[in-house]
Amino acid sequence: MNLSLVVFYLLSVVCLGGAVGVVMSRNVVHAALLLLVSLMAVSGLYLLLLAEFLALVQVLIYGGAITIVVLFVIMLTRAQEFRSMSANPQWRLAIVTAFGVFVLLAAAIIKGAPTETVRQSLGFKELGNSLFTDWAVPFEVASLVLLVALIGAIVIARERDVE
Amino acid sequence: MMLDAESVANLGVQWAWLAPAICAFAFFAIVVFSRFLPKQIALLSPLAILASFGVFWYVLNEFLSSGGGIFSVDWFTVGGTTFTLGIMIDPLSVVMLGLVTFVALMVQVYSLGYMKDQEGSFSWYFAAHSLFAAAMLTLVLADNFLLMYIAWELVGACSYLLIGFWYHKRSAAEAAKKAFITTRIGDVGLLIGILLLFNETGTFDISTIIHIAENGGIGSGTLTAAVLLIFLGAMGKSAQFPLHVWLPDAMEGPTPVSALIHAATMVVAGVFLVARAFPLFFMSDTAMLVVAVIGLVTALITAAMALVMTDLKRVLAYSTISHLGFMMLALGSFGFTAAIFHLVAHAFAKSLLFLGAGSIAHGTGGKRDIREMGGLWRRMPVTSISFGIGLLALGGIPPLSGFFSKDEILVAVLDGRGSLFFIMTLIAAFMSALYMARLLFLVVLGNLKTENDHSHESPLVMTVPLVVLAVLALGAGLLAPGLIPGYDGFGNWLYFKEAEAYHINFLVMTLSVVLSLAGFGLGWAMYSRKSLSADRIRGRFAGLHRVLVNKYYIDDLYQFGIDRAVLAFARFMALFDRIVVNDTGVNGLGRSVFLSGWRLRYLETGKVYNYALGMAVGVVAVALIWLLLLPYA
Amino acid sequence: MSLIHFQILSAALFSIGIYGVLARRNAVLILLALELMLNAVNINLIAFAAYGELAQAATGQVIAIFVITVAAAEVGLAMAIILRLFRDRSSVDVYDVDVMKW
Repeated sequence: MNLSLVVFYLLSVVCLGGAVGVVMSRNVVHAALLLLVSLMAVSGLYLLLLAEFLALVQVLIYGGAITIVVLFVIMLTRAQEFRSMSANPQWRLAIVTAFGVFVLLAAAIIKGAPTETVRQSLGFKELGNSLFTDWAVPFEVASLVLLVALIGAIVIARERDVE
Repeated sequence: MMLDAESVANLGVQWAWLAPAICAFAFFAIVVFSRFLPKQIALLSPLAILASFGVFWYVLNEFLSSGGGIFSVDWFTVGGTTFTLGIMIDPLSVVMLGLVTFVALMVQVYSLGYMKDQEGSFSWYFAAHSLFAAAMLTLVLADNFLLMYIAWELVGACSYLLIGFWYHKRSAAEAAKKAFITTRIGDVGLLIGILLLFNETGTFDISTIIHIAENGGIGSGTLTAAVLLIFLGAMGKSAQFPLHVWLPDAMEGPTPVSALIHAATMVVAGVFLVARAFPLFFMSDTAMLVVAVIGLVTALITAAMALVMTDLKRVLAYSTISHLGFMMLALGSFGFTAAIFHLVAHAFAKSLLFLGAGSIAHGTGGKRDIREMGGLWRRMPVTSISFGIGLLALGGIPPLSGFFSKDEILVAVLDGRGSLFFIMTLIAAFMSALYMARLLFLVVLGNLKTENDHSHESPLVMTVPLVVLAVLALGAGLLAPGLIPGYDGFGNWLYFKEAEAYHINFLVMTLSVVLSLAGFGLGWAMYSRKSLSADRIRGRFAGLHRVLVNKYYIDDLYQFGIDRAVLAFARFMALFDRIVVNDTGVNGLGRSVFLSGWRLRYLETGKVYNYALGMAVGVVAVALIWLLLLPYA
Repeated sequence: MSLIHFQILSAALFSIGIYGVLARRNAVLILLALELMLNAVNINLIAFAAYGELAQAATGQVIAIFVITVAAAEVGLAMAIILRLFRDRSSVDVYDVDVMKW
């Protein structure tokens, strides 16, 4: 039992607890905020995995952009008026399916039997190098994706009388 | 009796096949042309039978001069076996040919008068008669079991048609059904027996089978089994116990039908069958004993029933069964000649009695209950005298034919089966004399009841056959011993293994005469002088009387068995059909389609989250299967 | 603490996300659960990057970056769609979205 393991468990509890809150909460706003909590825990896990850059990216993007967008949409769709809605008619089957997926994945993982215990760190320099040389094309495509998403969002969400 | 092929080719007896052929032709002609000449076309039938009778005379002549033989033609081939159509001419078949054609001729002539005023199709009646004659003649002439079986079944079918001639009457339809079904039980036995023999010998040909059996070619167990099964068929047709139940009910048919089919010809087919296969029966002691015992039992119990019945035709029916029992008993006691002689004598006398009963019914306006008759000799002399002769003949009074034949049977039983059988046969003979006497004193003699005052004699067309048959009943007995020069007696002409002259056993003869006279005497006392009251005796033995009148409750037993077994099985089958086939199979198929559609509806709800669930479940399922089967891949 | 810990955590998070996607009625909440799933994948990727061969470490982290990118884009578009849905029928209940029936 060392420090990193304790931290891991703490972060896992927060992460999973937040996730459960997201999927079970009756209040939409609470769900959104719990998502934020969960994702911050994930960021902490990234740090544990010696991926500092990604931890930062996670905080910036998820905590900064996505949560704000979600909260805006919640506000715009007056979700608080529909507070009574929580679960689908098919929630029982959903639980079974989710459990099935978990069992499947766990089985696959245990079968794989990974034994590594040594973490390594990737420096910024190497990451940046890799991003702009080996992964240059996907990088450009990713920026295109963002552009398309931007334009698409505007087009879809436009007011109808604006032609 | 077998001659080789070349020498038989020129024998005149080979034309015997014309006899059944002419009758068959008459049947088809009547059926086809009855639409145009409904009454007149029926005459074709008596003419045909007359022609067949002529064929008989020709065949008899040829037989006596040149001898008999077997003539056959190939019919069809299946596998490696060829089936033939053929005729066998020997003393037995010649006798039967003559008997059948003659009695049929008498009955058909009589029917021209009797059936004229009855309801029902005149031409169809005679058509059925012709068909019956054709079938019966084929049966007696057949040289192989297959042909005989076909004719056997056809004869049964004709019996069904003729018993149920007045098919609107419920009782007649039921009786016809009963006759057919009861004899069917026997027929199954006959078929299996024939097939057993075919299995062992590879042929249906009777003489070949006998030849193989006598040379040890058939295992004794199999032979006994086959022969007993054949006897089962004989039991059905000849109404032996316990398959006798159909014959009394068969009296629902027209009286001439009863005279022909159920007295003289069809019912003797069983006796004829045993006689035909006698060499096979002879080789199995068990079978012979069974034949004798069943014959004796039948003779006794039906004679007892004849004593208490009150319908004239019923009494005659039970008497017929009893005498058939005598014939079987004789055969089972190695008395081949005696049995056949009695067959002939009984045929003449019994058909005479039935035709007489019909004449009585015709003359008294439809009476059948003997308690309503009496003193008819005053109004119907010809009928009464003929009827009386028949009664005396079958009662065993010498010198009528019945005395000779019964005497021969008694001798055979004593020699072949010993004293116990002999004594019981004597009892049966006494009872037959008694019930014949009962009929004599209650129907013919005695005082005329006032309601019968208007009775009249029957027309010539009915009385002439009666007279002819009476003459034969009187005189046929003289054929037994050899009294005519050049003729050594019946036993020297028709015999098994060795010729027998007419047996004269004085002890037996005396006993027989004494018993017959005693029977008639007792009958006179009970029914004429009334010195012994029949009613008092009935009162003393009320329980026995009730049992006899109810036919030993055998019919009820059969009905009970049918209700329980057959109908229960039918109910089970109906249940099975309804539950398994209909509900589960047919309806179930429909329901399962409906249900599957109802469930699969969820795939197409149009709701996104349903589809998402479907995708997720699909992935999980596929992955699970792949994971589980991976070790085996 | 080894790779397997992170992998199990990732699997659990993924499953919770699946439940959320399948069992929620509000479209926004379905989207939030979707984000959980994506993050689970990311954890897995980064864990491989940390515990695997050094030469492939970059791959793991780079792909994780791309996943985050695409997630962001997708959230933007999804929100646009939800807004549109809301405007047309005044409800974001997926229960009522059944026009795919015919």
